[in-house]
Amino acid sequence: MTVADVYLQQIINGLSLGAMYALLALGFTLVYGILELINFAHFNVFMVGSFVGLGVLRLLGVMPGAPALAGVALVAVLLGTLIVTMLAAGLLGVAIERLALRPLRNLRGPAAMITTIGISYILLNVVLLSLGADSKNFPNPLPSWTMPVGGAVLRLREVLIWLVSLALMAILTWFVQFTRLGKAMRATAQDAEAARMMGIEVDRIIIAAFFLGSALAGAGGLMFGLYYNFTSYIIGFTAGLRAFTAAVLGGIGNVPGAMLGGLIIGLIEALGGQLVSASWADVIIFSILVLVLVFRPAGLLGRVAPNKS
Amino acid sequence: MITRRSALLAASGLALLAAAGAAGPARAAEQVVKIGIDASLTGGDAQSALLVKDGALLAIDEANAGHVVPGVKFEAMVLDDGTATAGQYDPAQGATNARKMVADHNVVAAVGPQMSGVGKAMAPILSWGDLATITPSSTNPDLTDPKFAQQYRPAGKPIYFRTVATDAFQGPNMANYFADTLKVKSVYILDDTGAYGEGLANAFQAQAEKKGIKVLGHDKLDPKAADYSAVLTKIKQLNPDSLYYGGVLQAGVKLAKQAYDILPHEMPKAGGDGLSGPEMLTAVGYPANEGWYSTNASPHVTEDPAAQAWVNRYKAKFNVLPDDYAITAYDATEVIIDAVRRVAATGKPVTRSAVRDAIQTGKVKTLQGVVSFDANGDIEDRVISIFQIHHDPAYPADDMIHQFKYIGVAPQS
Repeated sequence: MTVADVYLQQIINGLSLGAMYALLALGFTLVYGILELINFAHFNVFMVGSFVGLGVLRLLGVMPGAPALAGVALVAVLLGTLIVTMLAAGLLGVAIERLALRPLRNLRGPAAMITTIGISYILLNVVLLSLGADSKNFPNPLPSWTMPVGGAVLRLREVLIWLVSLALMAILTWFVQFTRLGKAMRATAQDAEAARMMGIEVDRIIIAAFFLGSALAGAGGLMFGLYYNFTSYIIGFTAGLRAFTAAVLGGIGNVPGAMLGGLIIGLIEALGGQLVSASWADVIIFSILVLVLVFRPAGLLGRVAPNKS
Repeated sequence: MITRRSALLAASGLALLAAAGAAGPARAAEQVVKIGIDASLTGGDAQSALLVKDGALLAIDEANAGHVVPGVKFEAMVLDDGTATAGQYDPAQGATNARKMVADHNVVAAVGPQMSGVGKAMAPILSWGDLATITPSSTNPDLTDPKFAQQYRPAGKPIYFRTVATDAFQGPNMANYFADTLKVKSVYILDDTGAYGEGLANAFQAQAEKKGIKVLGHDKLDPKAADYSAVLTKIKQLNPDSLYYGGVLQAGVKLAKQAYDILPHEMPKAGGDGLSGPEMLTAVGYPANEGWYSTNASPHVTEDPAAQAWVNRYKAKFNVLPDDYAITAYDATEVIIDAVRRVAATGKPVTRSAVRDAIQTGKVKTLQGVVSFDANGDIEDRVISIFQIHHDPAYPADDMIHQFKYIGVAPQS
C-alpha cells in the first residue's frame, strides 16, 4: 500500500465510524434542543438497539456462520430488521420519557440528568444480567463483497452504513424542516412557552423528539452489529461518549452540527491512529473539542441561543 | 440481685446454648473450612472464568464426598472481580473481594485470582491478612518477584503461589517459537494496556529483539473501544511478517475479528494465555479465528490419557469441556486441600498461617504432575504450551480441546 492508499483507507474507516457517531449524536441533539437535557440513557438505548437487531435477525433465521443472503432476500431482511429495531428503540425512548423523566419535568437543577444516568445503568445491568456478560457473535447476512479503490479496499458493510446513515439523516432533515410536527419541534426548541401559547402540544413534541432520537440510536446499534459483527452489553459507553462529544463539537441542539461533529470525530479517530498512535486517539479527540469550545463556546455550527436566557 | 434485664439475658443465653446443643452432634465432628475462589465472572472473560471456577469447585466437592480430610468440611466462597463498568476484570473489585476473604476467619486459603491486574490489587491485602492464595492463571512476573516484595508481600512471607509459569517464560518462549520455527523476520506488537497484557507484550518484545526479529511498532488498544481498524490499517501498510498481542479477551475478540478483515489471512498472529479462552471460538467465530496461535503457561493436560477420567467427570458435572486452566485451578485447590490435610493430621488447629506454611513446603501429586513451589511462590516446573485454532467440524464449535490444536512446548531459551 502506498501512503496515499493508506490515508484513503483510513478516511474510509473514519467515514464509517463518523456515520455511526452522527446517528447517535442526533439523538442527543434532538432532546437537548427541546428540553435542554443531556440524555445519558441514550448511550444504552443504542446498546439495547443492537441487541434488538441481533434478536430480530435470529428470529428471521439469520444465525452466526450462516451463508450470506443476496438480492431481494437480503434487502428484505435488512429493511425488516432496521424497521423493527428502530420502532423498538423509539418506543423504549418514549417509555423512558413517560415513566422517568416527565414526572421530573418541572424540577429545576440536575435531577433529570442524574435520572438519565440511572436509567442508563438500569438498561446496562438488565441486559448484562439477562443475556450474559460475554460478547455476542452478531449474525452477518451480508455477502463479503469488496471493491478495490486504488490500493484501499471498500467493503459492502461500509457502503451500507453510509447509505443507511445518509438516508436517515435526509429523512430527518426533511421531517424537521417541512412537516407540521417538525416545524412545531423547531418552534418548541426556540421558545417552549410561546409555542404552547400558539397551541402546540409540548408533551407531544417531547415524545416525538425522544422517539426520533432513540429510533436513530436503534438504527446505529444495528449498524454497529452488522459492521463489527459483535455486540456486548458494554458497547454503549465508548460509542456514546464519542457521539456526545460529536454533538457538543457540532453545537448541541443543532441537527446539521451533530452530523458534522460525528464525521469529524470519526475521521480524527482514524487519522489520529494512523499519524500518532491509536492509544492517543482519545487525547487528540478531546484536545480538539477543548480547543473548539474555547474559541466557539457554542460549537462549530451552534449559536448562543438568542431566544433564551 | 437479679434484675429483669439480666434474667432475660440469662434466659436467651440458655436458649442459644440449647439451640447449639441440638445442632451440636452433627456439627461438632466437622469443622467448616472455607476456600476463597476469585475469578472474573463478569465481562469479556466470563466463559474462561467459569471453567476456572468450576475446576476449583470440582476439587472441593470431591474432597467432601471422599472425606479426604477427616473432620473437615470444605466450603467455597466464590467471588467475582469483574464489573459491569469495567467490562472485564476490575482491580478495585478484586481489592474488595480480598478484604471479604480476609474478614471471614473460616477462609484459610484461596484459589485465584484469574487475572494479574487483580492480583496486584489483592496481594498486599492478602499479605497483611496472612492469607495464602494459589492462582491458576495470573502470569505477571512482578507478583512473585522478590524485587517487588515490599509492594506485593509487605507482611514478609510469600502468599502468592502459582500453578502456572509466568510471562517471564510465556512471552520470551513464544518469541523463540516465532524466530526458530515460524522464521518470521518482523513483527508488530499490540497490547490491551492491562497489567498482564503490557507485561507480556514487553517480555515478548525484549526476546524478539534479542533473536533478531525486527519490531515494526508497539501500539496499545483501548479494551472498551469497538474499532481497531485504524491501527490495523497502519499495520497492513507496514506489512510485518507477524502480529503479537498481549492482553485478554475484551480487546482480543474484536482484534481477531477485525484483523481477519484487514490483515492477510496467512500472516501468523498470536497471543498469550489471555487468548486461550472459549470466547475465541464462540464470540470471534470461524473463520475469523482460524490460524490464531495462543499459549498456556502450563503443560497441556486435557488430552493426556491419564487425565481422561477427570475430563469426563468435569464434563458430566458442568456439561462443558475443561481447558488447561480448569486443570491448574483443580490442581491449585488440591494443593490447598492437601495442605489442610497435613495441618489437621498434626492435630494443630487449621489456621491461615499453618496452611500457608504447609502450601509452601508441599509436594503434591496433581493432574499436571508433582506441584511444588520455590521460595517466592512460583511453581518449580515451567512449561509453556502452544496452541493454534483450527476448525474441526467433527466437534462442537466451542470444544476447547479439539478446536485449539496442541502444537507443542515452546522452546526455552
